[in-house]
This record gives sequence, C-alpha cells and structure tokens, in this order.
Amino acid sequence: MSSLRDQAYLKTRVGIFAGRLLTPESVERYKSMSLNQLAEAFDLLPIIEETLEPRQKSRLIEQALLHRMMSELSVLLRPLSGRTRGLMLYWPRKFELYNLKTLIRGKLNDLGMEEIRDNLHDLPENIRLPHESLLQAENVLEMLRQLDQGPYAMIARQARHVYEEQNESFSLDAAIDRLYYTGMLRHINMANSIDKRGLHKVIGIMIDRQNILWLLRYRLVYRFSPSEAYYLLISAGGRIQRDTLMELANLEGLQAIIGHLPAPLRQILGEANNITQVRQRLDHHVSDELQKLMRHSQDAVVSALSYMIARDMDLMRLYAIIQGKLLQMDPALIDQAIPDNALTDSSGVNV
Amino acid sequence: MFSPLPIKHISLQVLTDDLPSASLILAELSCFSPDPRPYAEQALPEVPGHSFRHLYNQARTRLEKIVSQVDFELTSDNHEAGPINEEELERVNEWLGTAWETCSGFEEASRIHLEERRNIDQLESSLANFRNLNIDLGQLQGSAGFLETHIGMVPRSQVNQLSDALGLDGYLLFPFMESESDTHVVIVGAGDRETSKLKPVLDTAGFRALDIPPELQAEPEAAKTQLDQRRDAVEVESQKLAEAIHAWGKVSRQELEQAAHTVHLATPYVALGEAARHRGDLSRLQGWVPNEDIALVERSLHEKLSNPFVIETRDPTPDERPLVPSVMRHNRLLSPFSALVTQYGVPRYGEVNPTHLFALTYILMFGMMFGDVGHGAVILGATLLLRRKLGTFTAFGIAAGLSSILFGFLYGSIFGYEHVLHALWIAPLTNPLYMLTVALLWGIGFITIVTLLNIINHLLQGDRLGALFADNGLLSLLLYLGLLGTGYSFYSTGSISGFWATLTILTLIGIFAHKLIEQEASIGERILVAFIETFEAITGYVSNTLSFLRVAAFSLNHVALAIAVFTLANMMGDTGHWITVVLGNVFILVLEGLIVAIQVLRLEFYEGFSRFYSGDGKAFKPLTL
Repeated sequence: MSSLRDQAYLKTRVGIFAGRLLTPESVERYKSMSLNQLAEAFDLLPIIEETLEPRQKSRLIEQALLHRMMSELSVLLRPLSGRTRGLMLYWPRKFELYNLKTLIRGKLNDLGMEEIRDNLHDLPENIRLPHESLLQAENVLEMLRQLDQGPYAMIARQARHVYEEQNESFSLDAAIDRLYYTGMLRHINMANSIDKRGLHKVIGIMIDRQNILWLLRYRLVYRFSPSEAYYLLISAGGRIQRDTLMELANLEGLQAIIGHLPAPLRQILGEANNITQVRQRLDHHVSDELQKLMRHSQDAVVSALSYMIARDMDLMRLYAIIQGKLLQMDPALIDQAIPDNALTDSSGVNV
Repeated sequence: MFSPLPIKHISLQVLTDDLPSASLILAELSCFSPDPRPYAEQALPEVPGHSFRHLYNQARTRLEKIVSQVDFELTSDNHEAGPINEEELERVNEWLGTAWETCSGFEEASRIHLEERRNIDQLESSLANFRNLNIDLGQLQGSAGFLETHIGMVPRSQVNQLSDALGLDGYLLFPFMESESDTHVVIVGAGDRETSKLKPVLDTAGFRALDIPPELQAEPEAAKTQLDQRRDAVEVESQKLAEAIHAWGKVSRQELEQAAHTVHLATPYVALGEAARHRGDLSRLQGWVPNEDIALVERSLHEKLSNPFVIETRDPTPDERPLVPSVMRHNRLLSPFSALVTQYGVPRYGEVNPTHLFALTYILMFGMMFGDVGHGAVILGATLLLRRKLGTFTAFGIAAGLSSILFGFLYGSIFGYEHVLHALWIAPLTNPLYMLTVALLWGIGFITIVTLLNIINHLLQGDRLGALFADNGLLSLLLYLGLLGTGYSFYSTGSISGFWATLTILTLIGIFAHKLIEQEASIGERILVAFIETFEAITGYVSNTLSFLRVAAFSLNHVALAIAVFTLANMMGDTGHWITVVLGNVFILVLEGLIVAIQVLRLEFYEGFSRFYSGDGKAFKPLTL
C-alpha cells in the first residue's frame, strides 16, 4: 500500500477503532457489571438463556468476540492489496493454527468428531483450514497422513513423533507457534511497507512475550534442560535475540533469568515473584508498546497491525470477564485472570 | 424457447415414512428443484432426517476414501432402485467403517513403505558421501571413549535452532549433506551415548539416526548389498500389499457395489435439506417444477406412493420471482452456446434467454471476422476428429468452421489465397470502407435488438417505468436512433434534419429529467449526477457502436496477415516458400482464430449482454439420481 489516500483511510479507521481499546476505567466498569448487563452490552443475550449449556455459552461468547474482531479486520483490509494485504491476512492465521492444535490434540486424545468440532473457531473462509476432511479422519494415523499431503507436513511429522513416542505435545505446540511466527516474519520481509522496522518491532514484541513466558515454564515448571527449552523457543525475537535467548536458557531460577533480560524488560519484570506476575507485567508492557507503535508509526499498516494485536488481547480480557461471570467465579479470581494492563490513558489517540 | 420455462411452486404433503420414497421418485424424474426457504416453522417445527444425513455423510466419505484405495467403478445397473431407510443406511455405514479400517491399514502400510524407501535413499546418499571421506567411520558409530557422536537427519528448517540448542550442552553439529527436506548432520560432543542427555532434544527436533553398517570401511560393497537387500525387501512388501489390496477389492466388490448403490439412492433424501419439514407422521416438502412436468410428477407419485398424499401447485408470486430457478432446456446443438451464456450468468426467471441470439450472432460474427474456406475447413475437420474430447462443444466447432467456410466463399479466400476462388460477395481488402460500413450497420442493428430485448425484459417483469426510462430503456433507444438519424442526415445532406434533432433533444431532456428525479441528494448533486449519467449514456452508445468496427477490422486483418505470409514466402526458395505458407497459415489459424473467438465473445458480453441481460438468476438444480 503506497498511496496517500489509502494511508489516510487506514489511519483514520485505526484512529476510530482505537477508541474501542480498553481503558482501566472500562475494565473496572465491565468487572462491576452483572452477566445480564454484559450480555446486553456485547449483544450476547442467548448466554443468559437457561436452555443453553455452559459450554455452548462459552463458545457463543468466544465466537461473538472473534466475529467482532474479524469484522474490524475486514474494514482495515479494504484499502490493502498485494503483499501488505497478505501480511494483514496472515495475522489471524493464528486462529487457524489454534484450530490445527485443537484438531491434532483432539485426535491424539481420541475425542469424537463433534466434540472436536465444538472446540474449533469459526473462521472466515479465506483463512480457514479444510477442517472437514481432517475431522472426518477416523483415527490419528489417517489424520496425520492427510496433514502429510498439505502445507503442514512438518507439523504432521512432529505430531507423528508425539503420537508414536507418547510424548507431551510441547514440541508440537512449539512447532506450530514457530511455523506461525516465521510465516509472519516472512510476510513482513515481503511486505511493501514504509516502516518495515516498525513491523519487525510489532512482531518482535509478540515473540519476546511468547519466549519469556515459555522459557520460564519449560525451565522452572517442566524442568526441561537448557538445550530442550531453547530448542522449543523462537530465536528471532525483538529485544531478546538469539545469543541472549541462549544465555537465558542456560540460567537457573526466576530471578536469574529476569536479571539477565535486556532493558527495559529487566526493570519491568524486576519485582515479579512468579510466572503469573510475569505474564501480567508482560501483557501490560506489550499493550503499552503496541499502542505507542499504533500512534507513532509513519506507516498505517504498522498502526493497523498493532491495533489488531492489542484488540485481540483486549477481547481475551473481555472473554475472561464474561466467562468468569458466567461461571460465577470469585471476583478475586477474575482479577487474577485479567491483569490491569490497559493503558492509563487511551484518550486523544493520535494515529 | 426465448425465456426460461414457466415454472410452478409445488408443495407435497406426505407421511413422514414416505419422504425417502417421494424424494427418490422426484429424483428419478429430474424435474424437482427443492426450495429451502423456511416455511411453516410453527406447524412443522422439525427438519427430518438429521441422523440420516449424518450417517449419509459419514458413509459417503468412507466410500470415497475406500474407492480412492481400491480400483473400483460403480456399476449400479443390476441393483433395484428403492428408497433407503435409516436402518439400511446404518448397516451399510457400519460395513463401510470396517472396510475403511482395513483400507486405512493398507494406506498406512503404503506410507511406511514410502518412508522406508526414502530412508534407504537418504542412507545411500549419506554413505556415498562418507565413502569419499578419509575418516574412520567406526569412530562415528557410537561412543568412542569420551566422545559421543550421532549421525542422522533433521528437518532442514530446524538445523540452526538445533545447532544452537546443542551448543548449550557443549555439543557441535556439522551438516554434511542436504536433501529435499532434511539435512544430514553429525553431532559430536563430550559424553557417553548410552547415558546421553541429548535424547529429549533430539527427539523433540525429529532427529532420525542413520544406522551405518560397520563393514562400510572394510567392505563398501557389502554395505551397498545390504541396502539393496533392504530395498528389495520393501519392494516385496509393497508387492504383497498391492496384491492384498487387489484381493480385498475382489472379495469385497459385491458389498462395495451394494454400499455405493445404497449411498447413491440415499442422496435425494439428503439433498432435500430444509425443503422438507415435519411434525410427527406428517411431512411436507416444497420446491419448483416446470409447468410441462407437473402432470408427470403427479402421475408418478400416484403410481409409486402407496399412501395418500396431497399435492398443491401455484404460480410464483411477483415477490418470489428473483428466487425462482430458471429452467433452460436446449437441444444438443445449442448446449455449448448455452454453456457460454451461463458463464456470464443464469437468466433471471421471466427474463429473455439470450442463447439463440448469442448462438446466431456469435457464429455470424466469427465467420465475418475469420472468413476463409481453408481455415474453416481445418476447424471443421479438427472438430470432427476431436469430437470425443470436445463433447458438447463439437457443435460449436462445427458451426464456427461452417461459418468461416461460408464467409470464405463470400470473400473468395482460401488459406489466404485471394485469387483462387471468385468472391461471391466482396474481397474485403478491395473496399475496406464498404466493409467498415457493413460492420457499423451490423453493430447498430445488434445494439438496437439488445436494447429492445432490455425493454421487453422490463415489461416481462412488470416494470413499465423501467422499460421507458431505465438505462437502455425506450427513451435511450430513441435517443440512440435520434443520434444516428442526426449524424446520418448531416453526413448525407450536410445539414441536420429537424425531425432527428428534435427527437434527440426531447429524449435527452426526458432522460435528464428522469435521472434528476430518481436521485436522492441535494439539488446541486442531482444536477451533476444527472448530467454525468446522461452524458455517459450518449458516449456509451457511440463507443459501443464503434466497437463493432472490429468485425470489419479483423476481416481486413485476416487478408493482411495472409499477404504478409505470402510476401515472406516469396522471398524463399521453393521448399522455403511452401514451409512458410504452411507455417504462416498455422500461425493465422491458431493465433488469429483464438483472438477472433475472444473478440466476438467480448462483443457479445460487453456490447450485448451488459445492455439487457442481468444474468443474476438462479440455476435450476433438480434432485437427480
């Protein structure tokens, strides 16, 4: 996208949409609302009907929020064409890959077709995996043979390994995540952008977040060796580059790892005592960074991508609030699930 | 004939148990298109056959998968055609499930054989690579004192990540060969292979160890022999597998045929979808049937349904017209033209079906633009030779060839030679201006006819205002004729005829006024839009008419190309002359023939169809067997 008209359109659209991002006040307001009020606010009235099962209600919430995000994406896609459009269309492929994970895990765990289908995201046609033939596979091996024939042959190989060795599916999840992020980087490299550095920064922030959280889990919770933990991470981060990641993988203990993180991550996570706190602070930081990029990048595509990722995180928070209310969870638990990570001020967004 | 067949909406009330039979009867007649619009949801709340549909989908998928494994073709001639009930379908589905389990085993075995073949290939390449190295490969077989080594393959995309990861444990990774998807590597580090800490990371990375025969150094040929033996063993296994699949297919053939037949007969009931609804024992299904087939449907239902039923028919209501499917029945000669028309769109119900006009004008224009007895004969001959492959398009090729021959005689042209045959009408290059005039008149006639068709279409839809004022309505046609008359009077007499000028001005005012009224905007915007659209209507007619000059241009171009070929040929010796003439004719035939075919299609679609044909109708998709 190069024309000034298209840039102006996209920036204006992102500017309008940016007002929808959550503020601390709006998060508090949603937390204090009843389930009925939330259902009304987000056009989710069926979830207060008694006829639906809790699981169906959860799915309804998830689908409604996803649909909301996809509608916004389709508006942002309007002025885009060619490789830049390809980049923006690649971003929601993560939902397709969630579906792939669900499908493979479902088949590995011998779940029924309908049960697996119930857990798949309903995605627009242009990014949808051909679920039906994979779902119709009557056993794991048949599904793996089908995957072998398509673009996910590498994933099939990993999944076959997990199946044959009866291993945990970390390697499978990591392979899928790596596939997604390397694909995203490839699209960024090909995109026709006036701020490619900005695009790299957006994806770098996301990879760093993913790497820190999973490094801590692999090393501290699952007790993986440095080499195994490192192998499962993505070596093309933003602030955390390959050498730093290797160094971090070799460290023992939460404080040691945090202490060796590059600034400003070290300062941001400095007082965290556990992985939950790390996640909360990281999410806060990621939202903050994304909104800065959204406001200040010269390229409207960077703003649009930053907005979509920030919006996705916001909708996850909303999902947690509504789901918490639906399951009548303790407010403290809901608080824990929803970090207060919205920006202190999103007014006057200048994108 | 000139519009889709008249159709009726039918509603059939039957006992729920009779629904499969009714759907089968209707499918056999191939004249009932289900109407899936929601209806009577209160009285008939359920859509029947939910579990039947599930069974059917599963059975059909299984059958397709099995058929892809086994060499099998459905021959259902010997089977009885009766309705399929759920129990029968369930039984068949169960059998297909068991059969697929067997076939899935075959497929997996086949995959393993393929994998083994790939492994042998990789190992062979790897060993060939090692053979050239001056190292003791025995040292690479496992632990040698304090040194731990692994040789194997990892996916190419993972090599760098694995190399870094192994570096953390103090191991080094050396890639030494690359294949399509894998990299062959040697991993070396301080440690003991038996108690290696690398296993988890190597497993995670999908590392596949290469088992190197110890005799490689001493007896390289022995290693090759061993690999050959492994390859032979795989081939034997594959052969056995193929025989097993064949034998299974032979043994199961009858049951497979029966299963395929059952699934086939179950299709119409499933295809009814939401066009059928029921409450308890009473069901109703609705759809569309051409008027001429209503009696046949009633007779067949009376003959074949044992229980009572009620059938109601009615004409489509005006509101329904956009939803009514269009039935177009043509004879075989017109079917290729009909296929091209539907490429543009399906006629709306009640709209004029342009297939006849398209066929006639396409063939005439093709001949006019590509008139040559020889080339036409080649097209005709090639079409007849390839008639099996061309199928229904044979008629198209024959008509195009004959038209080309006819105009070839009229132009006196055969394989580009202009002086062999006497032109029955005119040799194009002798009077290009005349040819251009004819093309222009042809274009005027064509545009006038399609505009009239547009007016008829509006009238058929009951849209009188549209027939008068819409784009390409009566007023637009009068404006077109007025412009032509004005132009012609000026051209022939040097002055403008009062009649034509008045007609032009009045129709212009009429169109402008209509466009001004139909807009919903501020007055300034209305005037601007009305002015632009009126101006666009004039330029549209003028440019579309001039577009038809290409009809003459191509007939001239055909001769010009032939002259170019003969000029080149005359510069050669005898042999060269004939080679150039033959190749030049092939060039003209293929390239110009193709361009003319596309240009005629463009004239038809752009200058013709866009004026009168909405093409947004719904295709009639009957239940079939």
